Amino acid sequence: MALFAPPPMYADPTMAADKQHAFNPYSENGGSILAIAGADFTVIAGDTRQSEGYSIQTRYARKVWQLTDRCVIATNGFAADGNNFVKRIKQRLEWYEHAHQKQMSIKAIARLTQTMLYGNRFFPYFAYVILGGIDEDGTGAVYSFDPIGSYEREACRAAGAAQSLIQPFLDNQIYFRNQTPAPGAEPFVPGRLPLSTVLGLVIDSFTSATEREIAVGDGLELYVVMKKGRTTDDLVGSDNLIKNMQVQELGALGEGGSERTFLVSLPLKRD
Amino acid sequence: MASKGPVEGPSIGFDFSNYARNQYLGQTMGGLPKATSTGTTIVGMKFGGGDSGEEEGIVLGADTRATAGSIVADKNCEKIHYLTPNMRCCGAGTAADTEFVTNLISSNLELHALSQGKPARVVTAMTMLKQYLFRYQGHVGAYLVLGGVDSTGAHLFAVQAHGSTDKLPYMTLGSGSLAAMAMFESSFKQNMKREEAIALVARAIRAGVFNDLGSGSNVDVAVITKAGTEMLRNYEMPNERGVKSRNYKFRRGTTAWTKEDVRNLLVSEEVAVTAGAGKLQDTTEASQGMEVDA
Amino acid sequence: MDTLVRQLSRPAVPVHGEDDEAYGNAAEWGSMGGYGNLSRTGAISGMTVPRVLDPISFLATHTDNLSTNPEAKIKLAHGTTCLAFKFRGGIIVAVDSRASAGSYIASGTVKKVIEINPYLLGTMAGGAADCQYWETYLGIRCRLYELRNKERISVAAASKILTNLVYQYKGMGLSMGTMIAGWDKTGPALFYVDSDGQRIKGNLFSVGSGSTFAYGVLDQGYSYDLSDEEAQDLGRRSIIAAGHRDGYSGNTCNLYHVRENGWEFIGNYDVSQEWYKYNEKEKKALEHAGKAGVQGGSPMAVEA
Repeated sequence: MALFAPPPMYADPTMAADKQHAFNPYSENGGSILAIAGADFTVIAGDTRQSEGYSIQTRYARKVWQLTDRCVIATNGFAADGNNFVKRIKQRLEWYEHAHQKQMSIKAIARLTQTMLYGNRFFPYFAYVILGGIDEDGTGAVYSFDPIGSYEREACRAAGAAQSLIQPFLDNQIYFRNQTPAPGAEPFVPGRLPLSTVLGLVIDSFTSATEREIAVGDGLELYVVMKKGRTTDDLVGSDNLIKNMQVQELGALGEGGSERTFLVSLPLKRD
Repeated sequence: MASKGPVEGPSIGFDFSNYARNQYLGQTMGGLPKATSTGTTIVGMKFGGGDSGEEEGIVLGADTRATAGSIVADKNCEKIHYLTPNMRCCGAGTAADTEFVTNLISSNLELHALSQGKPARVVTAMTMLKQYLFRYQGHVGAYLVLGGVDSTGAHLFAVQAHGSTDKLPYMTLGSGSLAAMAMFESSFKQNMKREEAIALVARAIRAGVFNDLGSGSNVDVAVITKAGTEMLRNYEMPNERGVKSRNYKFRRGTTAWTKEDVRNLLVSEEVAVTAGAGKLQDTTEASQGMEVDA
Repeated sequence: MDTLVRQLSRPAVPVHGEDDEAYGNAAEWGSMGGYGNLSRTGAISGMTVPRVLDPISFLATHTDNLSTNPEAKIKLAHGTTCLAFKFRGGIIVAVDSRASAGSYIASGTVKKVIEINPYLLGTMAGGAADCQYWETYLGIRCRLYELRNKERISVAAASKILTNLVYQYKGMGLSMGTMIAGWDKTGPALFYVDSDGQRIKGNLFSVGSGSTFAYGVLDQGYSYDLSDEEAQDLGRRSIIAAGHRDGYSGNTCNLYHVRENGWEFIGNYDVSQEWYKYNEKEKKALEHAGKAGVQGGSPMAVEA
């Protein structure tokens, strides 16, 4: 049984075997992504800067995409690989929907992501993937992946250029690392923070990362996926709006499900 | 005076004896330590003279971001270095090298002025810089824009780390030099007025600040005329820090501890006064006076 | 069933020279499409390989695949300390939960015990994705075996499927050091399988960068006749010792116990908390011994 077919070599005589130019199809496009799961919502965010070296390729490139009514994907690393991966996963989800007359669950999308990434084990997608959304029980879910498909469900995850700046902050604020509760007080329980708090943490993560990481900036796109029936007052209520922040609701992609997805955008520093 | 055979080389300059070892360590330990490099936008231009009706002068400009890899090490550093009262030097490249080379040349220019009894000229500074940098074959990574006004007029030079120099009416250096040069190429005119020149230099730096990731934060400007130098530190601040949406003050006692040990750092000392110099003293009062209240 | 076997044994679809290699047969979409690179039957329908003369060195230059290329941009998660041992009461499996990508701690909450099925456990050391993917795939193969043969697969056979599988990829850059533990007709069984193709049956193993620290505690306290509680504590203590001393291991310890009726998850323990707990216990024991010594006037009493 041969599970692996060796690649055909180029028969072209001009391609001398002794002098082969190193094949480098990869580039690094900066930026950062972040997802935090709540009890009945999930927030998935990414900045919109795309850079290479010291140059900005564009101040607005998407890193976060809506896949289904209850799942959003974010990719970081090499933009071409990330975009291509999203394109392919969207196609697989469309096929699934045609065949089964329903949208794929986030749990299944996570496993699909693993096998699709691992299919490129020997020619990896240079993409760090995070999935965020609502699982079958109606709770917030975040799945994070390495470039070849190892994955794990977590309460929060940061990836990309500012990963090492944001993740320790999240460990402290979401997992309450290095914080001892007051004597006699309730112990900290991760994953139960209100949406307003989580939004504040995400925005502060990105404004702070923009200060110190040159590859992060320009704009922030933040997706909020809410469990069906959940109040939206804490997001849409005008008193929660931060200066220059815009909120729009994204229409449903499928039928039946009444989870709601909102896109929050706000500008970041451009230097 | 008698010379004995071949002169032993004086031990000046860099010691390369650890070069091979460091290369090896760099390979096995995953990279050598990185020097802070001021991925930078620095510019300079001449203004005045001709039929502008203003005296000749130089405007220098710089951003204020210092980076270490892709991390911003300093958000408001100074890249316009002092040389003499009528000369300034913008530095790009390795931060430590630009700092030390300008300091050294500044000292030597002062000594030069003292020995000659008149201020040093800009060409002199340029020559001292290029000779120093050439000696180190580019290992001193300083890329400089040198500007000043002396008895022969206003002069602007670029000095490369390997020792080559250029004399130009306007110039840009550093990772943001292309963005900044675009501004000069579109708007520079001979004999501009002082205010026009400052505005153009600030615009060039802003182009670097916003379009080059290695440059950022604020705009520093220096205007040099015969009368002296006007340092316009943080002439523009287009990137002020936003306000945090949350408050991150921790409750007292948040950090856990494994043991508590309170020590009294006050030292109290009893001084017994012997009847010094044969004088009788009130011993009780003296000892009380010396005691430190706990 | 024969079709199923044929499809599983079919050589991989030649992945090159096709318009879109990742999709295999375009007709197999929807319910016939399977997942990712797996076909409807669970067969692997092709692994994409770069079209260069030497794909192995391509992978080595662009990834930190075997933890030997820290400069590489594509960082992959790596696992670290695992142990398993047989004893009177079955098999204890204990692991840490840290994943590192270079010097960065990529995660402190990794599940390094892979629950292949209710009777089989696999551990993760080396490449996290390699272990996760192939042990999940092993689960599929074990289930197919059950359906064909109307009985559970033996641990020996299951571990052999895994070695044979990874041996096909030998030299391609897979990185796995795994233990397969389970209970079959022959009783408890434990195998070590790695990506070199090695497969060893044994009673006690520890794998990963922290394995030497774990062996230190494990060998000192091991006996076949340990009680369940003693054995669980030994496994936990060994992982905690490794987590404390090895920089690439730590965070928490996951503990499993395999018995005749399948595996049981015993618990998750924070390494630093447990370390302080053990130290406290030891101090108390010493104090107690000291007091007893004074009372008994023992000549062995040593001044603290």
